[in-house]
Amino acid sequence: MRKPPVIVVALGVFASLAALLPLGYLLIRLGQGFDKAVAELLRPRTLELLANTVVLVISVSVSALVIGFLQAWLVTRTNLRAPGVFAVLATLPLAIPSYVMAFAFTATFPGFSGFFAAWLVLSLATAPYVFIAVSAALVRTDVSAEEVARSLGLSRIKVLLRVTWPQVRPAATASSLLVALYTLSEFGAISILRFDTFTRAIYNAYRLSFDRTSAAALALVLIMLTLMVIWFERRYRGDYLPQRTAMQKPSRIALGTMHPAAVFVLTSIAIIGVGVPLYSLLNWSIIGSSTADLSEIVEALVGSATVAFGSGALIALVGLAVVIWVVRFPSPLARAVEFSIWATHALPAIVIALALVFVGANLLPWVYQSVWMLVFAYLILFLPNALSVISTPIAQVPRSLEQVANSLGVRGNRTLYKVVLPMATPGIIAGAAVVSLTILKELPATLLLRPTELQTLAIRLWSATEELQFAQAAPYALLLVLLAGIPALALNAQARKAVAEVSD
Amino acid sequence: MKKSLGAAIALMTALSLAGCAPAATESTESASETASSEPLVVYAGRSEELVQPLIDQFTEATGIEVEVRYAGSAELAAQILEEGANSPADVFFAQDAGALGAVSKAGLLKTLDQSLRDLVSPEYGAKDGSWIGVSGRVRVLNYNPERVTELPKSVFDLANPEYQGRVGIAPTNASFQAFVTAMRLIEGEAKTLQWLEAMKVNGVVYEKNGAILDAVEAGEIDLGLINHYYWYAKAKEVGVENLKSKIAQFESQDVGNLRNVAGVGILSENPNAKVFVEYLLSQQGQQYFVEQTGEYPLVAGIELLEGLVPLSDIPAPEFDLNDLDALEQTLELIRQAGLI
Repeated sequence: MRKPPVIVVALGVFASLAALLPLGYLLIRLGQGFDKAVAELLRPRTLELLANTVVLVISVSVSALVIGFLQAWLVTRTNLRAPGVFAVLATLPLAIPSYVMAFAFTATFPGFSGFFAAWLVLSLATAPYVFIAVSAALVRTDVSAEEVARSLGLSRIKVLLRVTWPQVRPAATASSLLVALYTLSEFGAISILRFDTFTRAIYNAYRLSFDRTSAAALALVLIMLTLMVIWFERRYRGDYLPQRTAMQKPSRIALGTMHPAAVFVLTSIAIIGVGVPLYSLLNWSIIGSSTADLSEIVEALVGSATVAFGSGALIALVGLAVVIWVVRFPSPLARAVEFSIWATHALPAIVIALALVFVGANLLPWVYQSVWMLVFAYLILFLPNALSVISTPIAQVPRSLEQVANSLGVRGNRTLYKVVLPMATPGIIAGAAVVSLTILKELPATLLLRPTELQTLAIRLWSATEELQFAQAAPYALLLVLLAGIPALALNAQARKAVAEVSD
Repeated sequence: MKKSLGAAIALMTALSLAGCAPAATESTESASETASSEPLVVYAGRSEELVQPLIDQFTEATGIEVEVRYAGSAELAAQILEEGANSPADVFFAQDAGALGAVSKAGLLKTLDQSLRDLVSPEYGAKDGSWIGVSGRVRVLNYNPERVTELPKSVFDLANPEYQGRVGIAPTNASFQAFVTAMRLIEGEAKTLQWLEAMKVNGVVYEKNGAILDAVEAGEIDLGLINHYYWYAKAKEVGVENLKSKIAQFESQDVGNLRNVAGVGILSENPNAKVFVEYLLSQQGQQYFVEQTGEYPLVAGIELLEGLVPLSDIPAPEFDLNDLDALEQTLELIRQAGLI
């Protein structure tokens, strides 16, 4: 039994302790007024919000899975024309913050609100997570098994369900987990769309009554929900199957008369998820009477880019360490570390931010309100995003290659650097890209923890929408979408490359 | 080779991040020096768009550098409560009296000098002198004159069946809650709960005052309960002739006409904090609120925005703003009514 490299263990344990920090803070807060917290939990309204939340999380997860899987399968496995274009369109909603999407919909369709609105916007906003993970997995899976199954007379649907699905199931469920936890913690979009969930109740407890005890009690319930979702995912994930070693081009399934229908479905999803928000943003920019100051825009652009891409790279490195530990050196400790990192992922950003305010101001004043505190918060908030993207590529590097390297005289863990990392590099970059994208859009933690002079596009956007000056907000929203387009395109480049690999 | 490349990337990332880190070490080391050489740290719960120009004016007039952290008033209040005595903030500039009250209750605000408190009528500040109002706002009825020809006389009239599904409210918004607190204390729990339950039926729930105004403008709803300056800000942005909606007061002493303030409290011993508060209450400061934010001045002798009824003539009920921190029972009622 080989041991994981020390640096891997050190980073993993660090990440795990970081993730548990908010939990400690919540327990301290809960200790200050246990009776009151229990009373808060037993209100009928709390149960109502809990029911709302569960229904929304389940429905968004299912529809994001269906949308993302359909997009991935059509783009990688069929003779769909211009698959590259559809791959780009499927990823683009990632560049649009869900609160901007929500604003765009309400501005375009007055009265757009409630459960259906929240479900639609969140499904569109999160489907790309599934698309990215599943298309990467589909490209790497063993097609020969599918061909054998076909030759034995199984129908296309049966092949899809019995042969293809088990191979991409780990990637699909891991990305659905991300979608479910995203929905659990979402605040901006659902408050604009006026659908009440648990996270909104937590924000309200802070914002309305400055009541940190009740908020802590509610947040702990959210952690319980998260643990249930993780348990569910672990149960149904299945095992990672190794990637085929010899690259062979699969024959793509001819869509035939279904081709127009496929194009129609993919185009409709793109129009709703990308077209409407962009149309709305452009519209605001044009009708806008107020002009934004150029130097302010540049400052915010530079601030956003530096923080998001810098933190994205750092967090991807930590994520890589955790994934290597969990996937290549499985042990109970490794699993516990991974579990703890996911456990607090659905906590709303304000809970993480206030936990770090408490710790920072009182115990670590020298890093408080420094950029490092902010990076630390992002690590707690978004490390799971990196894990979900990096897991599949690392898991799919065949063990046999490492054994070959060993037999050629590369000792022990050096095979990791010589064999595993080079093969998984695209996946690691994808992890950094996904985290950077998410950081670009993040607001509450950035507001409370940033160095005072740091400006970002999301902060500017927030200031402008505080007074609901959409026209003034529009340039920032557009720039945010464009900047987020860079990592989104990096993700796309990989999707397109993968698509090209399997194309004739 | 690969390894050194990775290390180089990590180093570059670290350097670029360090580039935007604040001069944290400098500020902690100089804590022992005279406070006046340090920039004044203001936590502002007001919109940057509206108050940053005023803060720039202050720096220009006094030479005192100001670092401002903008966020929501409630989020900042929560942040200050977490920071406790270690808060880097010198001044808390809040959107409403309730947030100031919460911080004051935790004992984190210093008592303001009598000279400052003398400038503003005592009804617009804390009884114990821990915070003071710097600009005023009034609750108004926003309505679409095409759809509402006869104005309701009282905010309680909005409970009538004829208004079903027509009234915009923002139950999570601090100014709405302040108004409900006043209603509860003036009119009693039972009557307030009854009204809130009626609003569960008649009301359409929004997050912010501005969203209500937009909904009335767009014809989604016919009336809304907002603060007066949202209407003036909108008029400034799109032109008053392009506004479809109007604003009005209810009849005499109605709680729907509640007066409220945005105010400040001082958290540290930094002497510049007092200079800052003085500036907000100076002729220029007060003039700024009148012209730029559409709010009421709270210092005597400042001319009002054209068309505004003087604050003292608003048919508002007598109400002690210090009581606005008694938010908990209000929230309980709003919850009981099922609005949040």
